[in-house]
Amino acid sequence: MDKLVAQYSRPAHQNEMYSEQEQHDLTESLPPLSLKFNLPPVDNSRSWLRAMTDDHSNPSCPIKLAHGTTTLAFRFQGGIIVATDSRATAGNWIASQTVKKVIPVSRLSRGEDKANNAPTPGLLGTMAGGAADCQYWLRYLSQQCTLHEIRHKRRITVAAASKILANLTYAYKGYGLSMGTMLAGMTPQEGPALYYIDSDGTRLPGNLFCVGSGQTFAYGVLDANYRYDLTEEEALELGRRSILAAMHRDAYSGGFINLYHVKEEGWVHHGFDDMNPIFWKTKLEKGEFSNVTSEL
Amino acid sequence: MMSFMGHQPQSQAVGYTFSQPTNAPNKEHSFYPYTDNGGSTLGITGADFAILAGDTRSVAGYNINSRYAPKVFKIGGDDDTGEGAHIILSVVGFAADGQALKERLDAVVKMYKYQHGKPMSVRACAQRLSTILYQKRFFPYYVHAILAGLDEEGKGALYSYDPVGSYEREQCRAAGSAASLIMPFLDNQVNFKNQYIPSSGDGHALEPKKPEPLPRETVEQLVRDAFTSAVERHIEVGDGLQMMVITQNGIEEIYTPLKKD
Amino acid sequence: MEVLLGITGKDFVLVAASKAAMRGPTILKAEDDKTRQLNKHSLMAFSGEAGDTVQFAEYIQANIQLYTMRNDTELGPNAVANFVRGELARSLRSRSPYTVNLLLAGVDGITQKPHLYWIDYLASLAPVPYAAHGYAQYYCLSTLDKHHHPDISLEEGLKLLEMCTDELKRRLPIDYKGVLVKVVTKDGVREVDFDNDKIVKSA
Repeated sequence: MDKLVAQYSRPAHQNEMYSEQEQHDLTESLPPLSLKFNLPPVDNSRSWLRAMTDDHSNPSCPIKLAHGTTTLAFRFQGGIIVATDSRATAGNWIASQTVKKVIPVSRLSRGEDKANNAPTPGLLGTMAGGAADCQYWLRYLSQQCTLHEIRHKRRITVAAASKILANLTYAYKGYGLSMGTMLAGMTPQEGPALYYIDSDGTRLPGNLFCVGSGQTFAYGVLDANYRYDLTEEEALELGRRSILAAMHRDAYSGGFINLYHVKEEGWVHHGFDDMNPIFWKTKLEKGEFSNVTSEL
Repeated sequence: MMSFMGHQPQSQAVGYTFSQPTNAPNKEHSFYPYTDNGGSTLGITGADFAILAGDTRSVAGYNINSRYAPKVFKIGGDDDTGEGAHIILSVVGFAADGQALKERLDAVVKMYKYQHGKPMSVRACAQRLSTILYQKRFFPYYVHAILAGLDEEGKGALYSYDPVGSYEREQCRAAGSAASLIMPFLDNQVNFKNQYIPSSGDGHALEPKKPEPLPRETVEQLVRDAFTSAVERHIEVGDGLQMMVITQNGIEEIYTPLKKD
Repeated sequence: MEVLLGITGKDFVLVAASKAAMRGPTILKAEDDKTRQLNKHSLMAFSGEAGDTVQFAEYIQANIQLYTMRNDTELGPNAVANFVRGELARSLRSRSPYTVNLLLAGVDGITQKPHLYWIDYLASLAPVPYAAHGYAQYYCLSTLDKHHHPDISLEEGLKLLEMCTDELKRRLPIDYKGVLVKVVTKDGVREVDFDNDKIVKSA
């Protein structure tokens, strides 16, 4: 009965375009990265969201979200290699071939991709799963890391940063976030450090991770040739080749190979290169990919 | 509107109720606050300009409800005509959500100008739009948005979004129901995908044609061609073509009729 | 979670099949042979629905042998593959189709060239230089893409197979009890010793 009454009698001001709180949010100068979210007016918002946006359980869902795909990172004696593909898909539609799936998590003002090759201090995060989830929460993490740096006069450790993110994803567990991310960084306290964090709330430190639908193919190449004492040259080539393997076998991966190297002084970008010429170079010069033939 | 932190399920707030417990998940799905109003939008940038365009048809199912419902808007203008704006936004999908999004971004950009005494940069506006979309991550705006303007160096800037706010700066983007017809055309004509320099080599040595910023006349013609072609093959596209061209001299709006069948 | 792998080389085809026979949560047998020899120069490995697999394989085996007896001539790998595909396609259109995935390895008696065919339960057939069925596809094909060459020796082929099984030991969450390895050459089919007890450390 009370519910019925509650349903039909609403305070008059609810009909206004913006609530008081919203007007406040609008006029405040820095409200953007907050933890406040609109929820649909239904009892079970989780199953509702799944029905609207999850194209796995409901292929005809109205809102198709962009999804990310093959990413990898591994530790070696010279630091950490981070490599990704660049394809975003919404169902079977390739929404973009030029997605930047490596996201710098550093002082927001330094996060730009510099043209010169000087290392940029800070961590790197990778993007697999929901593109918006990864972009938003890694930016939120950047903000938290920057605040840490200002408060404590030293850079945050990768362990602490990854814990902030893992606690966050755990708090939203079951709400339908979808992200599989790796955090890579090098600090004086830790040396090269690599963590895997996902939307279930998992947080794992490790030497080597591949995430996304192409992960198994990347593992296939990476595991077979991985050693901790790889040279920088070898490590970069192995990262590149592993992503190429995944692009070749996984339809949801493709586009450009995005390569990063995390060092003591910061991260260095090693190119965003079209996979097609690299594939043909690998095939014709090294004789690999013998399953691809020109005969009919 | 409810926000995440302060939200309590109604049944808990009241304590007891005479109504049946609503555990059946099927009931949830009868809440369907969306409809697809169809249409398409596209944006292309050049060296010192950006163009956003959209058709003006509005549909619901197989019914055409309006032949002039604009999808491209000026953001942060001084009055109702949008005079003085330096950012443009196109939204396609659910028109009501698009309208709400436009109003919200418009308010934000105006507030920014009042509080900081300078216009919002396109880069800042792009990031802000992303967070606005993400605020509704669990109850999304059913829209594909494209934002355009001129960057700090005066070059054309174009940002495209998914419904919950993932975004990327691009040279060109098509969105909406005819995106799958228009986007491949744009890949070929704007980014020169699968175009090679004739007789530059044999087989794999053939050199790909490098993309370069196109002049305004070429881009305008590409937009017209993209839409006249989409009209021929998609039922939800037609009636009129609304184009907004943003240069350092301001925003120019051009309307051209399209087929009305 | 069954593993089937096939690799061609200069003058041979290697076939590896997991030794675990699984039903639900149980491993019923740890020394299972998921292959049948069809004639002197061809070998078929199979996985899929319990019961269907052996029934189908032995039906094919019997018919290939019958053909050889009647005509006093051996079918080549290509002919065998197309016969198998035909039978599977026919069964697919019946009331109870066989749900079987196959790898068909053979060496041509005349040209002495090795052949490998990948056939799935929907009867699509593809000649390939290397192949896998089941979860092995996800882990091994990229390894094979990188390290396979058409003119490798048997020794190199076994090295390559070891890379594949190492990866499966590293990443597959279940124990498939090692693989049974057979090789087809111009001299026929024989079993190869393979070290399944090697311990693989993860990175």
